[in-house]
Amino acid sequence: MERGLYIAASGMLAEMARQDQLANDLANASTPGYKADRVSQRSFGDLLLGDTAGGNTVGPLGQGAAIDKEETDLRPQAVRDTGQPLDLAIQGEGWFGVRTAQGVRYTRNGAFTADARGNLVDQLGNQVLGAGNQPVQVTKDGTVDPSKVAVFNVRKPVKQGDSYFTGQAGGTATGQVKAGSLEGSGVDPARAMVDLMASMRAMEAAQRAITTIDSTLQQTATQVGGLNG
Amino acid sequence: MLEGMYTAAAGMAAQQSRLDAVANDLANASTTGYKSVRMAYRDLAYTAGYGPPAHATTNVRFGAGAAATMIGRDGRQGAIQETGNPLDVAIEGPGYLQVRENGQRFLTRDGNLQIDAQGRLATQDGALLDPPVTVPRGTQPDQVSIGTDGTVTVAGKAAGKISLVTVPNPAGLDGGTDNRFQATAASGAVSAAPNTTALHIGVLEASNVDMGDAMADMIDAQRSFQLASKAIQVADQALEIANGIKR
Repeated sequence: MERGLYIAASGMLAEMARQDQLANDLANASTPGYKADRVSQRSFGDLLLGDTAGGNTVGPLGQGAAIDKEETDLRPQAVRDTGQPLDLAIQGEGWFGVRTAQGVRYTRNGAFTADARGNLVDQLGNQVLGAGNQPVQVTKDGTVDPSKVAVFNVRKPVKQGDSYFTGQAGGTATGQVKAGSLEGSGVDPARAMVDLMASMRAMEAAQRAITTIDSTLQQTATQVGGLNG
Repeated sequence: MLEGMYTAAAGMAAQQSRLDAVANDLANASTTGYKSVRMAYRDLAYTAGYGPPAHATTNVRFGAGAAATMIGRDGRQGAIQETGNPLDVAIEGPGYLQVRENGQRFLTRDGNLQIDAQGRLATQDGALLDPPVTVPRGTQPDQVSIGTDGTVTVAGKAAGKISLVTVPNPAGLDGGTDNRFQATAASGAVSAAPNTTALHIGVLEASNVDMGDAMADMIDAQRSFQLASKAIQVADQALEIANGIKR
């Protein structure tokens, strides 16, 4: 009987995790080049029940749900015009390379600026890589030649925060750099809101299951043994 | 679970800074020589792990929200507006007027000049041009003529020269208060402006705030703020549901 309590509780925990992830998507609904996440749930392995009398199979018993996988939706998003000469976007597939203290990182967030030496840098002041992993120069009139900015083809990119991704660069990317524009966020606000509502209702349902099992247990404990029940 | 609330709150804070920046831009939509602010956004660190420590999966990672950073100003030219005032100058191209007040040097693109009581050319708030340009006492503004190279002449006699300066990285300039900026390590040292920069007389450079862009940005920021706040609301409801297990 009490197994049901834990099964329902695992469902609640999984929904809570999903909501945490959706909160991050919604917080980044307008972050350029942000890639939305999807989490998927799986069920724990089923148990096969048998009856104690004859050992006949009764059927499988689920053990609840868990979140076990997260996938980042890497599809390129629509590019929006900003008119800022140092806002760059990649149209199509590919990544900007940025030299950070931890090594080269890749990003699709092209809100760049210049540093004191006139190199193109990202919002955290890290150099954007050009051809041959050399820094890209910003011209005197404050613009940058999009063809000088390197576009990397990155396999298995993994989010690292600060709009950075890690991965293995190799091969040539097909994307074109466009100045004066930014790639939109990959978050679909409508879908995220619907997911959030669905998740909350699923959590509510699991909670109802818990309270129902609780009241059944209560009756078992207080009434079954009662003489005048 | 509580992380989700703070994640969404970080997103709201990022949108709030965006709203502040847009509000300031809109307030300066008619400030001479004003350059709109550029904001950049990014997601924050991700932590792996979900579930009880012994069985935690590292396949799933949770983000901590979003952050905003100011990445300098929009360097685009503002529209040139005719004023007819002989002491109004506008800079076309990269460059600044250098002014001095209380021993400190500042850069500005606000060319709305005046003659102060001592006959020195100064900005409207009293900062003197640096190097100084002095005209004879009692000179009326319409007696002054400024050449496109910056030479100031009064009744045919040279009185000084308005020099234009620039820095390697205008995005690194500090300040913005009173239309004035200061060179920093990030902006690089002040040097003469390139020859392509032109000085126009009798005109002022308007603010480069694009009202359409600013309004669209404001609406976007407001909606994104709302979305993040909804996530907090849902997290709150979810906690309420969890609390409802024990009645």
